[in-house]
Amino acid sequence: MSIETLFATLEQAAEKPLESARAWKQAHGTRVVGSFPMHFPGELAHAAGALPVILQENHDPITVGHGMIYPFYCGYTRSVVDQVCKGDYDFLDAIMFGDHCVQVLGAADVVRAKLPGTRVHFYQLISSMSDPWSLGRARETFLNLKEGLEEMIGHTIDDEAIRASIKLFNRNRQLLRELYDLRRSGAAHISAKQMQLAVKSSMVMDKAAHNALLETLIGEIEARAATAPAGVRLYLSGHFCQAPKVGVLDMIESCGAIVVDDDLYHGQRFISTDVEEAGDPLDALAGWYLQRNLKVPCPTRVDQNADWDGYLLDAMKRSNAQGMVVLMAKFCEPHMYYYPLIKKAFEQRNVPHLLIETEHELTALEGLRTRVETFVEVVKRRSSTRRAAA
Amino acid sequence: MATGKIHVMGIDFGSTTAKTVILDGNGVIVAWSVSHKGSVSDEGAQASIAEALARAGLKQSDITRTVATGYGRRMLDVADKSYTEITCHARGAVSMVPHARLVIDIGGQDSKVIAVDPQGLVSQFAMNDRCAAGTGKFFEALARAVQVPLEDMGPMALDARENIVISSMCATFAETEVISLLAEGKSKPEVLGAVHAAVASRTVGLVARVGKRDPIVMTGGVARNIAAVHYIEQALGTTLIIPPTPQIAGALGAALIALDEIEITVGNADEDDRVDGAVAAARACGTPACKTPPATSAVPAGTVPLHGPIRAVPPVPTSI
Repeated sequence: MSIETLFATLEQAAEKPLESARAWKQAHGTRVVGSFPMHFPGELAHAAGALPVILQENHDPITVGHGMIYPFYCGYTRSVVDQVCKGDYDFLDAIMFGDHCVQVLGAADVVRAKLPGTRVHFYQLISSMSDPWSLGRARETFLNLKEGLEEMIGHTIDDEAIRASIKLFNRNRQLLRELYDLRRSGAAHISAKQMQLAVKSSMVMDKAAHNALLETLIGEIEARAATAPAGVRLYLSGHFCQAPKVGVLDMIESCGAIVVDDDLYHGQRFISTDVEEAGDPLDALAGWYLQRNLKVPCPTRVDQNADWDGYLLDAMKRSNAQGMVVLMAKFCEPHMYYYPLIKKAFEQRNVPHLLIETEHELTALEGLRTRVETFVEVVKRRSSTRRAAA
Repeated sequence: MATGKIHVMGIDFGSTTAKTVILDGNGVIVAWSVSHKGSVSDEGAQASIAEALARAGLKQSDITRTVATGYGRRMLDVADKSYTEITCHARGAVSMVPHARLVIDIGGQDSKVIAVDPQGLVSQFAMNDRCAAGTGKFFEALARAVQVPLEDMGPMALDARENIVISSMCATFAETEVISLLAEGKSKPEVLGAVHAAVASRTVGLVARVGKRDPIVMTGGVARNIAAVHYIEQALGTTLIIPPTPQIAGALGAALIALDEIEITVGNADEDDRVDGAVAAARACGTPACKTPPATSAVPAGTVPLHGPIRAVPPVPTSI
């Protein structure tokens, strides 16, 4: 299979996730468990024999959803509510959501009201990550989540099954990180859109099937000689729940820039941390929850040992990025809260960065293009000035 | 290179007007023109180019290099390269007012605040998002609502004696609010004064995002509106420097960049220039917006085409 065909397959799942999950359910007779993004351990749902699917913002205009939620909620929340109201989630066997932000909680209330016949499980993960009791509390939450899934399937989920799922999911994360390594090193030209399709499809596809596609894809990419792409090396940061629109990613890379790394949820944030494969699987998942916040800090968590702006500056150095584009979903409170600290840190160190606020309804890219092109021109000029001074 | 034989062109293909500046090899303005023929109008751009060439007594083939900027910057076949209006306005404004450190540019569709260094390079910038509030389009809509010719709005707004506050800055809703105020019996000067004050408050918000620094130069078509300048000065608590031709700052900046680029010789070509060339070549996909750089056999010895073709230096026209 060619690289183009493989990406087209991933795109089909990534861009039509519900259609893909419904087809899987029909073909395999498995349950489908929808979850909100960020901290859901899909391994547990997989071990229960279900297909875990992270619910995605879609591209449809928000219509009936406006009757259920305020227009000043983020695009992800409003889109999920709209999909619920339109009956798009009716085929799901369960929906599981955490409380990582107050807006998503509002969406969860709509889910409960609109889908009375669907199993809805709420889990509240501890957000204070470095207390002596953090690990134990996270384990309790995951145990509760496991019990909810057991209630759904009518029998217990044994540890061996969870460990097998952990191993499968770890393999998936490792394969996706290999793609990141190939891009970062310049050994392969993988566009920002293609990288997003690879990660986003992982959120909605069966992991074994996804792993098989990724293994073939990596083999094909490694076999195809690639010259390192030219352009200003940019790092993308932000978007904790929804995928940035591919039009925005394409636009950024059409302005003389190449994206070399990111901390997006539909990116490094999703795949940064593996789960311990030996020992008690719930301990391992609780440990994963705490560890991933140190790997890629999350602004909805509180950790004395995590420093997001410091992390970003280091990550940019590691990936040899020349500038950072911050993609902030409009009305994303956690991001808005932290952004001033990032801005200050970057300005103090004279590291170029550009803030782009994104919206569900965004259609006109020309104004954004002007800002990104200017940013690329500024970064280029700074780089050549530094070279001239050296 | 004999700079006296060189002419470069900067075209600011804006959302409402097209501006063209032609410079000689010493960076002196030979001719400029402004054309107003509708939104991102190719006809307007061509008219502006033709008028500037006619005023300079030159043909297009006499132009060594052309740089385009503005909303339609990538639509011009005649341009060798494009830069954003932010980069070009910064360059043009500092050329007009060398000690300027902040540029407020309010054009037809966008408002921008740009912090600049002494070389005219952008250090920081802020730009309005999708909303056209406070831009030329906004003033045009308001002129229709109050039925006052655009050029008379500024002087009339300065006659305001009462301070009215307009809360909505959306061009559509502000029009509704203006009509409502007129229906309440408020006079046109008062209403227009309120509109200009509202635009000023929006500009202050953009300045705050970049950080206020003096001296401030204002460019773009709205800089010719005396009330807009007055209310922005009042809101910022500082005097704005208005160049004699503020609307051509972007085109001038583009022309100056074109001149810079032909002055770069083989020995000075840096990595970024080579990367730009590679990116342009890689994007040569055959679509109208994506052209393969033409052959460069006519390039003068000692000069490399860094971002696009540099045409052979033309002979001195006999009429000069």
